[in-house]
Amino acid sequence: MQNIDTRLKNVKGHGIAIGLAILFSACGSTQPPVQTMAETRAAVNQAEQIGARDYAPLEFREANKKLEQARILIGEKKYEEARRMAEQARVDAELAAAKALSGKARRAVRELREGIRVLKEEIERNQ
Amino acid sequence: MTCIVTAGLFISGCGGTPEINPLLKEAKEYYDEAEKDSLIVVKAPVAFKEAEEELRRSQQLWKDGEDQELVAHHAYLARQKVAIARETAELNAAQDEVERVEAERQRVLIEARRAEAVAAEQRAEKALAQARKEQMEAERARKRVEELARIVDEMEAQQTKRGLVLTLGNVLFDFGEATLKPGGIRAVEKLVDFLRDYPERRVMVEGFTDNIGPSDYNKKLSLQRAEAVKQAMVQEGIAPGRIEVRGYGERFPVAGNNTEAGRQNNRRVEIVISDGEGYIPERGV
Repeated sequence: MQNIDTRLKNVKGHGIAIGLAILFSACGSTQPPVQTMAETRAAVNQAEQIGARDYAPLEFREANKKLEQARILIGEKKYEEARRMAEQARVDAELAAAKALSGKARRAVRELREGIRVLKEEIERNQ
Repeated sequence: MTCIVTAGLFISGCGGTPEINPLLKEAKEYYDEAEKDSLIVVKAPVAFKEAEEELRRSQQLWKDGEDQELVAHHAYLARQKVAIARETAELNAAQDEVERVEAERQRVLIEARRAEAVAAEQRAEKALAQARKEQMEAERARKRVEELARIVDEMEAQQTKRGLVLTLGNVLFDFGEATLKPGGIRAVEKLVDFLRDYPERRVMVEGFTDNIGPSDYNKKLSLQRAEAVKQAMVQEGIAPGRIEVRGYGERFPVAGNNTEAGRQNNRRVEIVISDGEGYIPERGV
C-alpha cells in the first residue's frame, strides 16, 4: 500500500499505476480465494454429513477432487483458476447434498408406504 | 506472466464472433427442459431462479465476448444449479408425500386397531359360544349316562369286566329249536330301542347250552340261537354290522349241569354291550 502511495505521488508513475490496476482486474484476483475455499470446504463437509457419500457418490467425489485441485492451484499461485475450481467444487457439493436429501426423503416415502401395506395386510388377516 | 497471457486471450476473444460455447449450449438445453417441468418451477422456485440467473450471467459473458473458459465455468455452474433445483423440487415433493402418506398411515393405523378390536370381540364371542356348546354337550353326556343307567336297569343288564351284559333265559326257544319265540322278540325290543338311542354302541350275542347231547350239536345250536336273536334285531332295523354272534355250546356254564335248575341256567343267550367306541372284548378262552 505504501508503495502505491509513493508511486501516486510521482506524477510520471500515475499512468503506469492505472495501467497495472486495469491489467490486474482483468486477470481477476491477485489474492488467494480464501473466502471461496472456506465456503467450499463447508459445503463439502455438510454434504458428507448429510450422507452424500452414499446417496450421490459421483458428485461427492467430483467436489472433493475439485477442492483438492483448487488447493494445488493456490500452491501454484494460480488464484483465479483456483477460485473457479473451488466454485465448481462448491456447486458439486451442493448438488450432492441436494441429491442425498431428496434420496432420503424418497426412501422415507417408500418405507412409509411399505409400513401401510403391511398394516393393510394385517387388517385383511384380522377380518 | 499468467496475467499478461490471460489479458492477451481476453483481447483476442474480443476479435471474431465466437462460436457458441458447448457447455453453455448444454446448460441452456438442460435449463429449458427443467423449465417445462412444472414440478421444478412450483416446488423449487428459488433454486430454479438461481439457476436462471447463473445461466443469464454466462450468456451475458458470452455475448460480451469474454474468455471462453470463464463462460464455460459459469455455464457449468448454471447446469449444476439446474440439477440442484431439480433435486430440491424432488425433495420438496417427497416431503409433501411423506406428510400425505403419514396421514394415510394414521388412518390405516386406526383402522387396524378397530379391525383388531372387532377381531378380538369375534374371538371372545366364539370362545363364549364354544364354552356354551361344551357346557351343553357335557350336560347332554351326563343325561345320556343317566339314561343309559336307567335303561340298563330296565333291561336288567349287569355290569361285568367285559361291560354291560344282558342275559336272556332259555324260555325264548323251544327245546332243541333255534327259532325265537314271540316272548323272545319282546325281550330284545328294549335292547333294540337302546341301540337306536346309542348308535355308537355295538353288541355281541353269545349262545350257550347245557351239557346234554353231543358238544358239536350244542355248539351249532348255540350259534343258531345267537343268530336268531341277531335276525330279530336286524328285522327291527339294527344294522347287521353292529351285531356279532358267537356260539359257545356247553362251555362257560354259569351253574352245575347235574340238576335241572342248573342246566336251565346254563341254557341262555348273553348279550354283551360295547363301550362308547363300539369295542367288545372277546370272551376269555
